[in-house]
Amino acid sequence: MALVAVQSLNFAYAGSQREVLRDVSFTIDPGEFVLLIGQSGCGKTTLLRHLKTALTPHGRPSGSVMFDDRPLEDIGLEEQTRRIGFVLQNPDNQIVTDKVWHELAFGLESLGTPREVIRRRVAEMASFFGIVNWYHRDVETLSGGQKQLLNLAAVMTMQPDLLVLDEPTAQLDPIAAVDFLAAAKRINDELGTTVLVTEHRLESAFPLSDRVLVMNQGKLIADECPHSAGATLARQDDPMVFALPAAVRLALTLDEVQLALTASPTTPMTIREGRTYLRAKLAEVGCESAVCTATTRSMTDQRPSASLPAPSSPLLLTSPIPPSFCAQSQNPQSQSLQTTVIEANDVWFRYSRNSEDVLRGLDMSVNQGEFACLLGGNGSGKTTTLGALSGLNKPYRGKIKLLGLNPAKAKGMELFRAGLSVLPQDPQTLFMRNTIFDDLDDAARAHYTDKSARETAVEQVAATTEITSLLRTHPYDVSGGEQQRAALAMALLTNPKVLFLDEPTKGMDAFFKAKLASVLHRLIDNGLTILMVSHDVEFAALYASRCMLFFDGSVVTEGAPREFFVGNSFYTTAANRIGRGLVPGAVSVDDLVAACRVPRANGGVGLTASRSMASEGRTTEASAGKSGLDAATRSRRVDAATSRSMTGAGATVKSDVPES
Amino acid sequence: MGVEMRLTWVITLLGIPAALLAGVLFPFERNYYFISLVVVLLAMLPFFASFEGRKPQAREIVVVAVMTALAVSGRAAFFMIPQFKPGMAVVILSGVGLGRESGFVVGALTGFVSNFIFGQGPWTPWQMFAYGLSGFLAGVIFSGPAARNQGLGNLNIPVIIYGTLATFVIYGALVDTSSVLMWASDITWASISAIFISGLMFNALHAFASAVFLALLSTLVVEKLTRLKVRFGLFEPVP
Amino acid sequence: MRGTERFSSLHPVVTVCYFVAVVGVSVLLMHPLVLGVSFAGALSYALYLNGWANMRKTLPGLLVLMLVAALFNPIFNHRGYTTLGYLGDNPITLEAIYYGLASAAMIGSVLLWFVSYNKVMTSDRFLCVFGNVIPALSLVFSMVLRFVPRYFAQAKRVAAAQRGIGRDVTSGSWYARARNGSAVLSVLLTWALENSVDTSDSMLARGYGLPGRTAYTDFRWRDRDLMAALGFGGAVLVVAVAMIVGALRVTYYPGFVVSSWSVATWLALGVWTALCLAPVVVGVVEEAKWRSLLSNP
Repeated sequence: MALVAVQSLNFAYAGSQREVLRDVSFTIDPGEFVLLIGQSGCGKTTLLRHLKTALTPHGRPSGSVMFDDRPLEDIGLEEQTRRIGFVLQNPDNQIVTDKVWHELAFGLESLGTPREVIRRRVAEMASFFGIVNWYHRDVETLSGGQKQLLNLAAVMTMQPDLLVLDEPTAQLDPIAAVDFLAAAKRINDELGTTVLVTEHRLESAFPLSDRVLVMNQGKLIADECPHSAGATLARQDDPMVFALPAAVRLALTLDEVQLALTASPTTPMTIREGRTYLRAKLAEVGCESAVCTATTRSMTDQRPSASLPAPSSPLLLTSPIPPSFCAQSQNPQSQSLQTTVIEANDVWFRYSRNSEDVLRGLDMSVNQGEFACLLGGNGSGKTTTLGALSGLNKPYRGKIKLLGLNPAKAKGMELFRAGLSVLPQDPQTLFMRNTIFDDLDDAARAHYTDKSARETAVEQVAATTEITSLLRTHPYDVSGGEQQRAALAMALLTNPKVLFLDEPTKGMDAFFKAKLASVLHRLIDNGLTILMVSHDVEFAALYASRCMLFFDGSVVTEGAPREFFVGNSFYTTAANRIGRGLVPGAVSVDDLVAACRVPRANGGVGLTASRSMASEGRTTEASAGKSGLDAATRSRRVDAATSRSMTGAGATVKSDVPES
Repeated sequence: MGVEMRLTWVITLLGIPAALLAGVLFPFERNYYFISLVVVLLAMLPFFASFEGRKPQAREIVVVAVMTALAVSGRAAFFMIPQFKPGMAVVILSGVGLGRESGFVVGALTGFVSNFIFGQGPWTPWQMFAYGLSGFLAGVIFSGPAARNQGLGNLNIPVIIYGTLATFVIYGALVDTSSVLMWASDITWASISAIFISGLMFNALHAFASAVFLALLSTLVVEKLTRLKVRFGLFEPVP
Repeated sequence: MRGTERFSSLHPVVTVCYFVAVVGVSVLLMHPLVLGVSFAGALSYALYLNGWANMRKTLPGLLVLMLVAALFNPIFNHRGYTTLGYLGDNPITLEAIYYGLASAAMIGSVLLWFVSYNKVMTSDRFLCVFGNVIPALSLVFSMVLRFVPRYFAQAKRVAAAQRGIGRDVTSGSWYARARNGSAVLSVLLTWALENSVDTSDSMLARGYGLPGRTAYTDFRWRDRDLMAALGFGGAVLVVAVAMIVGALRVTYYPGFVVSSWSVATWLALGVWTALCLAPVVVGVVEEAKWRSLLSNP
């Protein structure tokens, strides 16, 4: 007996011809933990909202949604409120009242529950979620993770049978996201509540789920257990494969033959399973592990993974874009030519006289044309650093130089006229007009007085950021990733030389991240310097040219992505954690794959051998182009990669690895 | 009209004359202040009761709360120009965009919450009433045409003029009157004019700020509210 | 704060009634002793709740206000037969000065009672009192309190973001600042209204609008609340009766006359003193108990 049964559901929004949901059918049994995945805009949210009448959007539905063997529309609002809990994406927007206790009680108040019962239920839930210590607090004093946990608890006080979570961790930092998913799993395990969740962070969500539903353009294209879901996606060339956990991608790439035929019941999903799997694979190719690799390698020897030879596999399920942009800072020749545009020397800062130091002797420098990434945990002071560099926060000790100016002493907008632009973390802090075009036009006004020049500039920037088709849309009617690019366009209209990005990939799916990366690299090719602040390790590993780890008020360690992530053991990519001690120097799944593919005879260690082969091509290229890499080649490569990832043709890798 | 609503009107319509009569029949030292306080509180009662009696939907409640919070916190956007507070402009535009009842509620709550955050005092009821009345009248005068036009159209200038006058006359006069009643033992022309003149500069600045904000914001706010109303299917046009 | 101080841990309905009573009597009665006691009670409670360090910032402003109040009356009011001198053509009378001092005490004590009220009446207490009477408005109130700090923070973020793309609100001409400031407000407004759709969805998802909504509060009505309510009610009753029978009657004009010094007057004053000092006395006694518990484990 299914708890939820959706039968050939179709839906189009009012006033639109496009079917957002097309013939969707699935069932969910009581007690299941079901993961729904798909690219942004594939109709996930619309589908989830059909599971609760109060949230169902206006439009033309057909088909049926059954809950507990009754049509949903026949179930009263009171019963739906009680039995179907819903948590939305943005933790802040969902909280209604000003106190934690009141928020917990809100649903029960609506249901007309007597005071004594509310007291008991609230107490139970507060204890279950560990909210007891902040039960009396103002909501505003909570962290993002606590807020989302509060939203979850506030729904759970009604003791629902079905819990629907719509991208609940998109706005959270990685640690809070893992905590949240663990809490959802605990509800599933300990209370038996059925959970249906949409997620972009598949690395943590995949292993938790009993079943995976995959959507593409309004259609349900897979409905199976997580062990086989990856293989199904790979068979269909669905772009979602790029978002799968590293261990799954590794297994899919290496075992493509078997997987294409029968789903392996033991696909590795977690890091631990990935390591076991990798160990076995390495044994197969005859390289026992770290013992034989570690000795031959040193940090300086490492090359970007893009210079790996193209594996001849038709099913390379690794990163959508060759991570080839880390070359610049590694090339000693080009480094000497570069000018430093951002420099901080022993910078100390605190917000007020009696507070603690946030920056403690920060030293850093960024060269022209670099894509530098400042990584670090939540609340470690990364954003404060951007503030100090842009003159918002004035340090009490130390020196900062940005574009030759001292930000703390720069008058008014001097720094910004000199070429600094900052993309804020939340793109919604920039929009106020009714179309994106109007907002861009406003932003351009300060720099272009002539109307036609302004229009040209806007069109150009829109083309660069790939939002041309959205220009006539209301800024709040586009997705988060598109908002981010529109905001980027606004920041670019000031013609910056240096661009600061604050957590630009927050809430984005793999596809939008790849698109953002291609836009950013296009900008770097035009001579822009980028300093990005992020917790997104995977993004930095793939696309940045240099990474810095920020901790306790200063930069602890830095280096090109490869050397950086190899040096870290926890704060690093999933692939690196899988390969730790087995394939040293592996940062992406490509690296792991290559290590398993290259036969032992080829000079001991696969990675080193294949690298040295490719490094010749690299040198010629470096001497030919400015700043170490030929710009045209790079952007062509990115474009090709992006279009590939867009069309979802993950299998056509062969054609476009330029070094080959 | 529901039973509760009728009861409220009875309380208000009987209560105000009763309070005035009591003031005449039992004269004691601060009766002006006390009776005026009772009158102001009673005068707000029907507005609140009608909001409650309507059992507003979630969407309406959210919009009223958002506009009130914007009126209270709008000053944060102008931290660099103190004394320049957009509260009154937001209240008036709520009246224009959402209608008179919501206009009153947004206004009165703006007065209340500002005081709750920055310190309550005996002036609270007067401020609540002054804001509420300004929002209400804005709704009475403009919400019809604003709703019909799906925007402000050419009502911009009248709204600015109304806002300036409302700030100076309704808000300034009511709040100053409360000061007179609070401070002076008997109401003489000298004491009234002393307080009104001392408040003149402040009220003029406040009215000027409202005018500036209305000039800058009115079209935008009404546009945004209209968009939201369309999305919500809310607040059908006032006939 | 919560649970540490005896008086403010009473049921909110009782605390609200208490403040209404003390402020109401202070406003209604111009008896100098009543006002003096009220002022003393209000000042000591405000100090007790906020501590000297915090009150040191509030008190100077308060004293200035009281001074203005004390001077305002003799300058504008010329009744009374004891003329002390002239200001221009106008007589300054002793009675008007007396009245001015009484006004100052009244204003001072009312403001000080409000200082304590602001500290004690947190939003949850307010909701406890009004949640059932005006449920929709109470909810709006709670939501506004949730939104305001959020909007303050967002306004700061918006200003910083605008600066990052070259629009500064802290520099430039006055007009440019106002323009950029209103840009901040416009962004804030758009953001607030657009995101409110989520908030209303969240309310709908949790059943807002179903009939028979209850108002939850953490506060419970206990025996001591009843005792306190009876005590306060009795005290107010005594003062009210004394007022009606004229035992607390004072006239300022034309001459300053305290009409009665009867038993009723003293009784009423005694009860009033107890009422005004109750919060502090209860608090201090409680603290003493605490200390003795701590020192004799």
